Parts: sequence; C-alpha cells; structure tokens
Amino acid sequence: MTEPDRDHSPTASPAPSRPGTTIELERVTKVYGAGALAVQALSPISVTLAPGQAVSVVGPSGCGKSTLMRLIAGLEAPSSGTIRVGGRPVAGPLEDLGIVFQRDLLLDWRDVLGNVLLPAEIKGLAPAAARRRAAGLLAELGVERFAGHYPWQLSGGMRQRVAIARALLPSPTLMFLDEPFSALDAMTRDQMNVLLQQVQSAEHVTTLLITHSILEAVFVADRVLVMSGRPGTLLDDIAVDFPRPRRLSLRETPEFSAIVRRIREQFVRTGDLVG
Amino acid sequence: MTALPEGRPEGRLDEPRAPATGGLGLRTRRAATNLFPPLLSAVIGLGLWEGLVRWFAVPSYVLPPPSQVVLELVGEWQYLLTELGWTVLAAAIGVAIAISLGILAGAAIALSPTVDRMLTSWLVVIHAIPKVVIAPLFLIWFGFGVQSEVFFVVTFTFFPVVVATITGLKSADPDVLQLVRSMGATRQQVLRKIMFPSALPIILSGVKLSVSLAPVGAVIGEFVASNQGLGHLLIRAVGDMDTALAFAAVTLFSVFGVLLWRAAEYVEGRLLPWHPSQRGDFKPGQK
Ligand SMILES: Nc1ncnc2c1ncn2[C@@H]1O[C@H](COP(=O)(O)OP(=O)(O)OP(=O)(O)O)[C@@H](O)[C@H]1O
Ligand SMILES: [Mg+2]
Repeated sequence: MTEPDRDHSPTASPAPSRPGTTIELERVTKVYGAGALAVQALSPISVTLAPGQAVSVVGPSGCGKSTLMRLIAGLEAPSSGTIRVGGRPVAGPLEDLGIVFQRDLLLDWRDVLGNVLLPAEIKGLAPAAARRRAAGLLAELGVERFAGHYPWQLSGGMRQRVAIARALLPSPTLMFLDEPFSALDAMTRDQMNVLLQQVQSAEHVTTLLITHSILEAVFVADRVLVMSGRPGTLLDDIAVDFPRPRRLSLRETPEFSAIVRRIREQFVRTGDLVG
Repeated sequence: MTALPEGRPEGRLDEPRAPATGGLGLRTRRAATNLFPPLLSAVIGLGLWEGLVRWFAVPSYVLPPPSQVVLELVGEWQYLLTELGWTVLAAAIGVAIAISLGILAGAAIALSPTVDRMLTSWLVVIHAIPKVVIAPLFLIWFGFGVQSEVFFVVTFTFFPVVVATITGLKSADPDVLQLVRSMGATRQQVLRKIMFPSALPIILSGVKLSVSLAPVGAVIGEFVASNQGLGHLLIRAVGDMDTALAFAAVTLFSVFGVLLWRAAEYVEGRLLPWHPSQRGDFKPGQK
C-alpha cells in the first residue's frame, strides 16, 4: 500500500514535545465498589510496553481487560500502583491517544471525512494539514472512495476502518483498541487483521489490542499478554516476532500454531477453556 | 439495478450500501398510481355531498353545497386572502418566538440541573392549564389586536419545542460522549458537535408539531381578541348566517395547514438527510 504524502506533509499532531510512549505499570490494581460489594477487577499487574510495540491482551471475559485499558488511558484511576506513560504518571485522560471500541461510534450526521476530521476540530489542528492527513489515512485503510458517504451507507467492516482512521488522525503515539472486530463476520475480521497489522507498522504507533480471539491476538502483535480470570493478572507474556508485513497464510505455519497452542493451554490449565 | 460506485465489481466484500434510486419515469408513474385513489374518493365524496344537499333541498345556511363554497372562494378571494394573511402573520411571529424560546428553555433545563429544578414544575403547571380557557385573559393582559394573538400562539406552541429539546439533548449516545471527552473536547464542543446534532431530529419533530398548532392558536386568538384574520372572519360569517363563506374560510385554512406541514417536512428533509426517517430518496453525492 502506498501512502504518497505521509512522509512530506507535516502530521496534524500538536507537534511540541511528543513524549516517548513507553508504558509502565507497577503493581497496578483496581477494585470496584466497596465493602461487601467490592469487586477486585485487577490483582497486581506489573509490565512495561516498549514504544512502537503492538501488544495484544487476551483473557477470559470479565478478567479486567477493558479495565486495564481504561486505567492506562487515564479514563479511570487505579486503586493502587502507578502507571507511567512516556515517563510521566497518568493523571487524566491521555491526550496522545486514539481509541477504537467494539461499536464504531461514528456520528450519523457526518460523512466519512467529517467523522475522521472530528478529533482535528476538537483539538484545533490546522485544517489543511488535517485534511491531507485524513485523505492519507482513508487511502491507507482502503476507504478513500467513500469519503463523501454517510456511515449508514457503509458495511460494519468499513465503518470500523473509518473509526481507526479517526483514532489515528491526530497522529497519536498510542492506539488502544477494545475488541474492535468482535462484531464483524470471520472473513471481514481476517481482512481487518491484515489491515491493522499494516497500519500499525506504517504508523509506528504503540498499540494495545484487546481481543477474545487468540488467532487475532497472535497475528497482529509483537507481544501477547495472557490474563487470568478475575481478578485479572498476567499468566504469560509471549514475544511474537514474525516478520512484517504478515499474510494470513502465516496462521497455518507450525511456529504460529505453537504460540496459539501455548496460549490455549494456559486457559485450559486455569479452567477458562475446555481442552 | 441500482447504481454502484464505479469500478467495483458487484457483490464484493465491504461494498457500501447503495440507496435505492428509481428512474424518473418510474417515479412519476408511481406518483400517478398513488394519487389516483385519494382523488377518486375526493370526487365521490364531494359529488355525494353536492347531490344530497340538492336532493333534500338543505338550506345553504345549514350546509352549503361544495359548488357554492367554490363560488365563494372565487368571488371573495381578495377578502379571504387578506384575512388569511393576518392569520399567517400572527401564527408565524408567534411560532418563531415559541421555537426560539422553547429551544433556549429546553437547553437550559437539559444542561443545568438547577434550572431544571427551578423551571420544570412551573412549566408542568402552566402546561396543564387548557390554553383555550385562558384565551380571553389575553384580551385583558395584552389588549385587543394582533399582539394578543401572537402571545396566545406562543403559549399554544411553546411546549412541544421545550419537551422535544429536553428529550433530544438528553438522548446523546453516552459512549460517544465519553469518546469525544477522551479527545479533550470542551463542554461547548460536546454541546455543539455531539449533543445538538444528535438532538436535532427530536427537536425538529417538536418544531413540526408546534408549526402545525400555530394557525390553530392564531385562529383561537382571533376568535377572542382581534378584528382581523380568518378567525374573526369566521365569527362574522357565522353571525351573518353566511355559512358558505365560513366553509370557504375553513377550506382555505385547511389548505394552508397542509402546505405548512409539507413545508415543515421539506425543511426537515433538508436538515436531516442522514436520519433513518429521511433516507428513502437520499442519494450519495448530493449534500
Ligand atoms: N464501572 C464498574 N463498576 C463496577 N464494576 C465494574 C465496572 N467496570 C468493570 N467492573 C467489573 O470489573 C470486572 C472486569 O471488567 P472488564 O470490563 O474490565 O472485563 P473485560 O475483561 O473487559 O471483559 P469482557 O471480555 O467481557 O469485555 C468485571 O467483573 C466487572 O463486573
Ligand atoms: Mg471488555
């Protein structure tokens, strides 16, 4: 895929001091509620994510994956422990972050381009540069011809592509995706995996992908974090260093299968999956 | 076959949904077949009315035949249109004020819990008063003339807009709100870019209701506190036992009401091309 103007055009990011994007968690826990109703969502988690890394998080439902993401994103505060992003403790919602959720959350009354430009309007970025950036991203995600279409005219997969473009518009150094493809059919999901992996490498964005699909987790990531059932903690931490760009046929290789099996066995051992 | 965007084989994954577009010939033919049944029933209904009135020799001050109403419309068109003009004027000014005030009040109530607690019970109480009953009071408060009428139209058409605005502003998708806050949106940006646009369909349905109530409010106002307008004309025609003229006024009034509704629907379609209620004949590429 070619992205003609990415290298020349200034990105639409709020340029001064882009902090590094190392993410460090130190014995982070989260408890919801208090007293008898308290739910421990996370038991102490310590982990460091390197800049530009694509990290997947897999774990059984309710183990605290979304909670972990919200804590790092600064949308909630941890009950104990510290989170540092780019060396600084997280004190509020991260500015330098694009988020994609399971629901695409596109605005029905804006066309595709208008949706992608939303963060630029909110952050007050230069319109011309933002438009160039949007055009580049839409091309990268294969939806450039639908810039003038409205969300209702698009399929689920295309809508999610637009949501990814919107998240990446301000050129964040971090991108978090919380089960972005779980509402899509298997074939579209495979396409999206290939695409996400491409875009992630092209944008050098530190990526945190939360998913229930072990295949997806391994295919997209440089590193897979495996979480136990609630209260969630790290069961395993697996480096995945297949070269990029990756093709779907990678999933049929023995090396890939070995990693998938290793993760599945963790869940069988903890009783979250039946062997 | 619907027009797919150029250069894409049909049936590929991730094809955008092409909206239905009919050819012009098909559309006019469909319009003709759609129009035929109501036309036929109108002709039969009016014919029966005319025939029965003549057959039983009903005096025209009791029930004039449609032909006489038409003659009245043709003969008195200047008088009728002038009075209609006054009604339209009062209705338009009144509903414009009601819409502006209604949106402001609705927004204040939806956005501020304090204003909500202060204003809402007042609004509920005032709304519970049957407006027609207090119409004569407007004569005392605002005097005889168009200003009384306008005030009456305002009270008559205010509430649908307030209620719709409150509901609309409170129904924005909470996940979307969280998303734009995480982008760093200010309160004002959230209001302008998310809450107001997503409220617009609901606000407009309230506005439509108000607009359709406005002429009714104006006529009631004219019954009581004006010597102009269709309402006043009606009172006079009935006093003179000129029932055909009254029917002519009512006919004109109905036509005006239908046109007003159509106009409101047109504006709605222009403002909400993206809304499910409007998508039917929307084509991509037109904005
Ligand atoms: N706002 C909240 N208040 C109270 N409890 C919460 C809240 N959010 C999450 N929890 C609890 O914390 C636990 C972890 O929730 P979380 O949403 O992080 O799980 P998850 O791993 O994302 O699950 P899933 O895979 O189903 O999305 C759950 O038991 C949930 O009930
Ligand atoms: Mg979750």
